[in-house]
Amino acid sequence: MRLAAASSVGLGLPNIPVALVPGHVSIQSKEELRRNVLDVTLERVIENLTDLPAAAREQGEPGARDIVFTGGFNAVNRYFCDNELSDGLPIVPPTREAIEAFLRFTDRDPDEVLGVMLPDNRAATIWSIAVNGVMAGCRPEYMPILIALIEAMVDHKYGVEHSGNTPGGEALIILNGPIIKELGFNYTQGVMRDGFVPNTTIGRFWRLYLRNVAGFLPHKNDKATYGNTWRVVVAENEDVVQKIGWEPNSVEMGFAAGDNTVTVARYTGGNPCSSVCGSTPEEMLPFIADGVIKHAGWTLTFTVGTNMGTLRPLILLSPILAETIASAGWSKQDVKRYIYDHARIPAWEFERQLQWTQKPIWNLTEEVRLGNIPKVFHESDDPNRMVPLVWKPEDYMIVVTGDPLRTNAYVFAHNGGLGYPVARKIRLPENWQQQDVDRAA
Amino acid sequence: MSSVNTDGHYEVFWPRSPRQTAIKSLAPRMETLHGKTVAQLWDYVFRGDEVFELLEEGLKARFPDVRFVSWRDLGSTHGNDERAMIAGLPKRFKELGVDAVISGMGC
Repeated sequence: MRLAAASSVGLGLPNIPVALVPGHVSIQSKEELRRNVLDVTLERVIENLTDLPAAAREQGEPGARDIVFTGGFNAVNRYFCDNELSDGLPIVPPTREAIEAFLRFTDRDPDEVLGVMLPDNRAATIWSIAVNGVMAGCRPEYMPILIALIEAMVDHKYGVEHSGNTPGGEALIILNGPIIKELGFNYTQGVMRDGFVPNTTIGRFWRLYLRNVAGFLPHKNDKATYGNTWRVVVAENEDVVQKIGWEPNSVEMGFAAGDNTVTVARYTGGNPCSSVCGSTPEEMLPFIADGVIKHAGWTLTFTVGTNMGTLRPLILLSPILAETIASAGWSKQDVKRYIYDHARIPAWEFERQLQWTQKPIWNLTEEVRLGNIPKVFHESDDPNRMVPLVWKPEDYMIVVTGDPLRTNAYVFAHNGGLGYPVARKIRLPENWQQQDVDRAA
Repeated sequence: MSSVNTDGHYEVFWPRSPRQTAIKSLAPRMETLHGKTVAQLWDYVFRGDEVFELLEEGLKARFPDVRFVSWRDLGSTHGNDERAMIAGLPKRFKELGVDAVISGMGC
């Protein structure tokens, strides 16, 4: 009910009536559900269809350029926390001077609207990006990256409106291009650890923007059952990628090598494959394929389900693993093909996993017959036939990063169409080089 | 002990931006469900298939001449095609003579 109350405001229908089924339908017997629907829900449905609720009135809000508070550092932070404008950590006060410093790192009009995002239906503006960037502790020169990120956030393919779903997945930002070194991102040991200003503050910015502009506040539109803290930016080790002749992630996302890009996708969890051993790809990759299988449970509904073919698991390979695999003549594409061919489970097990998602039973054979999924999911009638976890090898994403000398990998479980991978080129302002000189000064 | 204020003084801006939708009026309600056509919209989660079946049973008991457009005929409101599906609903409702809609399941 709280979600309905919160999300209906953004839709302009704060008084839309809701009929409640008492309790949680997932744990009710058929008899309980019948009793609850017929004794409680039915009456409300009839009432909602025949009685017009009282008209709703606009709730006043500040304007985009309104100063909402004046005071000292501690008082400002109390105000932001009390009004749900912060994530609980101290924020940098977004003053005019601080915001204007960010705006100097873009040629775009502060009032430009990049898109409008549900559930709050607010405009994603250059100005609001600068405000939230200041708050997150970003440096002004990160502004081109922040803009690219919000361009990705508003892309319908990403599906930002689903960011409050109950599994509580969190976005991961992948960075490519020379800007990694120019702005001092960590791309080696401890790459997912906080403590590096650009990686950490830009990750925080993403979550602040989701809260303040998209409208995902816990206990309201953010329905994460558990959730987790925002992830820091992961930068690819492009030195190693170039050395071994692999394509960086940016190229796989459709850009030219050397372009500065951000890629964003949502993941429900992840786990390392610790101490991968072997001197050949065939010796090393079974461990990683096994790790991929272990992260494909209910999320298989994004392969065969309501979001058909949208599962894109991500594998981080440490440089030493990538170099060893490449030394055998394998490309990134070869690794993806191996994972696709070997990260497989019996068809009966795939269908069993789909049952956990409370959707109608999905039958792989029937879905292939209807042409809804690839034929690889029904190459025979044998229920023990091995089927892949994704539609095609290219659905796997591989990024080379982390401690150069540790033989560890990391597998992320993807959230499918509810956070589909989207990438954007980072557009630097005309005066970027001059700003660079200023920064150095 | 120094009494100098080190907390600073800041004039801070709102980190949100204005909503892009004004409040909309709800559709007029029906006086009765007798002889009306009610569409079912389902997002294919949380036992909506069973809930809609029960609602149909309950509504038919009270209004025997009420008609339904099943969720089976409209498709899922949640999935790959959700934007196009929802954008096409007004036209579909008009074609099907829909008087009212019940949409579920939130959870």
